[in-house]
Amino acid sequence: MRMIDALTRSMRASHLLVALLVAASLVFAAIGAAMGETFYLRLATEALIFAGLALSVDILLGYNGLLSLGQALYFGLGAYLSALVLMWVPSFWAAFAVTAVVSAVVGLIGGFIANRVRGVYFALITFGMAQVAAKVVYNTRALGASDGLIGVPVIDINLGIISFSSASPAGFFLFVLGVIVILYGVTAYLLDTPFGRLLIALRANERRVPFLGYRTMTLRLSAYVIAAMIAALSGALYPMLRGFVSPELLFFSTSGNAVITVIVGGVGTLAGALYGSVLLTLLKSVVGSYTEHHVIVIGLLFMGAVIFLPRGLMGIVRPAVERMLTRRSKP
Amino acid sequence: MTERTTTERAMAAHSGTAPILEVRHLSVSFGGLRAVDDVSFTVARNRITTVIGPNGAGKSTLFNLISGALRPRAGHVLIEGTDHTGEPPYRVQAAGLARSFQITNLFFDLSVAENLRQAAQILEPRSMMWRPIGASRAAHARVDELLERFGLTAKAQYPAGKLSHGEQRRLEVAVALACRPKVLLLDEPTQGMSHGDTQDTAALITSLAADVTVLLIEHDIGLVMSLSDHVIVMHQGQKLAEGAPTDVRNNPAVQAAYFGHA
Ligand SMILES: Nc1ncnc2c1ncn2[C@@H]1O[C@H](COP(=O)(O)OP(=O)(O)OP(=O)(O)O)[C@@H](O)[C@H]1O
Ligand SMILES: [Mg+2]
Repeated sequence: MRMIDALTRSMRASHLLVALLVAASLVFAAIGAAMGETFYLRLATEALIFAGLALSVDILLGYNGLLSLGQALYFGLGAYLSALVLMWVPSFWAAFAVTAVVSAVVGLIGGFIANRVRGVYFALITFGMAQVAAKVVYNTRALGASDGLIGVPVIDINLGIISFSSASPAGFFLFVLGVIVILYGVTAYLLDTPFGRLLIALRANERRVPFLGYRTMTLRLSAYVIAAMIAALSGALYPMLRGFVSPELLFFSTSGNAVITVIVGGVGTLAGALYGSVLLTLLKSVVGSYTEHHVIVIGLLFMGAVIFLPRGLMGIVRPAVERMLTRRSKP
Repeated sequence: MTERTTTERAMAAHSGTAPILEVRHLSVSFGGLRAVDDVSFTVARNRITTVIGPNGAGKSTLFNLISGALRPRAGHVLIEGTDHTGEPPYRVQAAGLARSFQITNLFFDLSVAENLRQAAQILEPRSMMWRPIGASRAAHARVDELLERFGLTAKAQYPAGKLSHGEQRRLEVAVALACRPKVLLLDEPTQGMSHGDTQDTAALITSLAADVTVLLIEHDIGLVMSLSDHVIVMHQGQKLAEGAPTDVRNNPAVQAAYFGHA
């Protein structure tokens, strides 16, 4: 038997598509920097940040087969933690470390609650948990209540070899691109291990898995915690970009948008989360400049995608890339 | 029922004197229905023991109790002398017991090879869980071996759901066997198979008994007679009789309860 099977080949096709996106981003950053552009670079940075959130939704939906309607809980958690840390010590490393640790713990607790149930009930519980968190934050003075936390300082990001300000549009864009590519890389790596394959097995037929010698709760919890951490680390980038955080980050609109992103981009493709986010963020901004009813346009677009592109953008593009890869590997 | 100390049990297990599988006074009810009612027996090592009985006799429920799919209301399940009663399936699996299902229970949208790889992965050290899939060489070697043995090599990259019924039934057995279990429970492996496939599968099961203990549920009486070393007859949740195939066949109570229906 060949060591590369269909699932690994699909993953390689995703890598290629992500590499393409990275190349396009580098060109975009170069042009943007040369032109002294700010608005579109910052918009693209935001697209990448929300791509990280979408990636976490795809781990659960595309691999584990679980629809989370509350992934904003972890995104918002990361954003608030990062804002609080940065207001205290202006170090991106500190913000990331605190976010990683706290989101792992909160994810474990949330995972224990949400993974007691499946299907629609999982969706409802994740939704409920995020709503509760949003309401708590909204009503907590210390967290700025409905105003959120403002005045997150601009920080210097020191990567050893280079150092730049989070206020530099091109520099910060490239930094976020790097972080998201690393999050993608880690996710893609994990999903192509026997552990990742077990998540696919859970989606395919959960009842069979215990008889193969695995505890399903451990697997589901692990996937949930990994997704929570990826959402939170993406969220941690948000206050570095915008200089503030607000309770909206925890609202259902944030979770819902991430789900739409994944469905439009292609469920279970990982690359789709990134492309979908770029597409939707761009559309929202372009349409938003013509009409304030951009939500309607996005809604219609989503309906169209579900009806005409049920596998999403990458669901169509990726198989073509896979065929290309197979042809090339055959002499 | 005699109570033994853990040490005694462990020693018995170690010296190999404990039966590979023993069931003591196993019972479970669904509402008022006593699906399995005070069933006891032992299974001899590297033999084929077959459970027969009319539809609804409680055979599959018995398998569910042994494999951890269901918790018994009373009684014990011992594997090599160690009590595994009421443990979840993944623990029972770790004790060396694997099973197949009467209703085909595969990962239908995954390939045949991947179905087998998922089941063979447990042969690898735990650390391989976090390494790229291709690194699990022992698991992949086991997959090749099983594909060959079950005549599925040509279909290795097919989704399991695209196989014919007979092929799916064969894969179901192969998946159960992939982890190199000590005890293999097969619930009607030949169900719905053509005559030719049934004969092939019977030959395959016979060949298994060289290194696995097989507990089988089978309806085809001809097959039961030729295949089994030992037969257990169930009827209305209870064990009606057990013994050598011919003895069981000639048992009047069995003929009345079971062959009478056939
Ligand atoms: N989970 C369950 N809940 C309720 N009743 C059940 C359940 N499982 C089995 N039963 C009932 O228990 C009885 C025994 O069922 P079981 O499936 O063990 O029979 P069987 O001997 O395997 O029959 P067959 O030869 O048809 O497979 C049947 O009356 C069945 O309807
Ligand atoms: Mg049955």
